[in-house]
Amino acid sequence: MGRIIVIHSYKGGTGKTLLSVNLAAAYAKEGKRVCLLDLDFRAPSLQSIFRLGGSKYWLNDYLNGSCEIGKVLVDYTPECECNGNMYVGLANPATEALRDMSAKDRKWEMRALGRLLSLKNTVLNDMELDYLIYDTSPGLQYSSINAIVSADVVLVVSTIDRSDVEGTTRMVHELYDLFEKKTAILMNKVPCEFLSTQLERDSVIKRFESTHTLPVLKVIPCYCDVLRAGGSKIFVRDEPEHAFAKHVNDIALKIDSF
Amino acid sequence: MIKMSKSFGKNPAVILEKIRESLDRLNEKMEIFIELQKHERKQDFIVQDLPEALDVMTLLSLPDHLRKTAVSICKLGHATAEEVAEQTKRARAVESGYLNQLVLMSYLQKERKGRKAYFYVEK
Repeated sequence: MGRIIVIHSYKGGTGKTLLSVNLAAAYAKEGKRVCLLDLDFRAPSLQSIFRLGGSKYWLNDYLNGSCEIGKVLVDYTPECECNGNMYVGLANPATEALRDMSAKDRKWEMRALGRLLSLKNTVLNDMELDYLIYDTSPGLQYSSINAIVSADVVLVVSTIDRSDVEGTTRMVHELYDLFEKKTAILMNKVPCEFLSTQLERDSVIKRFESTHTLPVLKVIPCYCDVLRAGGSKIFVRDEPEHAFAKHVNDIALKIDSF
Repeated sequence: MIKMSKSFGKNPAVILEKIRESLDRLNEKMEIFIELQKHERKQDFIVQDLPEALDVMTLLSLPDHLRKTAVSICKLGHATAEEVAEQTKRARAVESGYLNQLVLMSYLQKERKGRKAYFYVEK
């Protein structure tokens, strides 16, 4: 059976979307069947990266119960240049949709949780996918917690920013632990001078593992190339020799054995 | 209460089945009673006609033992205590108690189909 991987963080701007997209591309490149869903209904961003025009339906429609998931998913395999398959489901970026999603009541959120949980059968099993990856909103948003409840693995992306680290620690105890989720930390955008030797890298890992009481799956340096690309590149596909792409490939391998 | 009526006839199998059903129901009621006593929270349970929303914020507010059961029923959709127990790796009687507690709190609905009691979230 395939696995649901949720990419989450306490704060915005930690690199969740970039990591989600590249992780999905890394798995597809390995020959896996993968589906990436944008569950960040407050600030949808996958549309800007994939520029898809193939579907008339959004994930909002699926959660509203107005269509089935098959109508939302777009086959991105031809553009992905991969050996496997890659499907993408987008959140509606229109202002009206953002407003609509932020005004949902608890009953709606409860039904949305049911529809997310049913994706394990309808997407992972029926479509025989290996991975379902959710890119989420930061913090304690309904859509993110719904995603976490349905997850098999949660990857929490954090920077070294103090408020990010403290917020992540709180979420570990007050969210992931309560739902007994298999969780790991990805430290992203770490200044290169903290990681110049193996000893320094080990020390950073040890420090954050002790702070979060969770395994740190990877420490990714802050790359100017990645910032410069401004979300216009999928590094695993466009620059596979780039160090960032290699880090993502390594994360993909580590998740498999996690 | 088992009423010996003409419809049972003299078929001992039918009578035994009725006794078994009654014992099952009695057992279930005892499990609820034990659960309520164990947690000494009778006063917290206000039986309501309208179902409460079992959304993630509610899940977060539940005590650990009930949250595990509630998450499990959310995943299964419609399940018996035995099916929930398979997921949570706890005893069926324990899950039956927790499920009935969630019914009392109006988060779950319960229906009987033959000898089996099914629990589900009212959508």
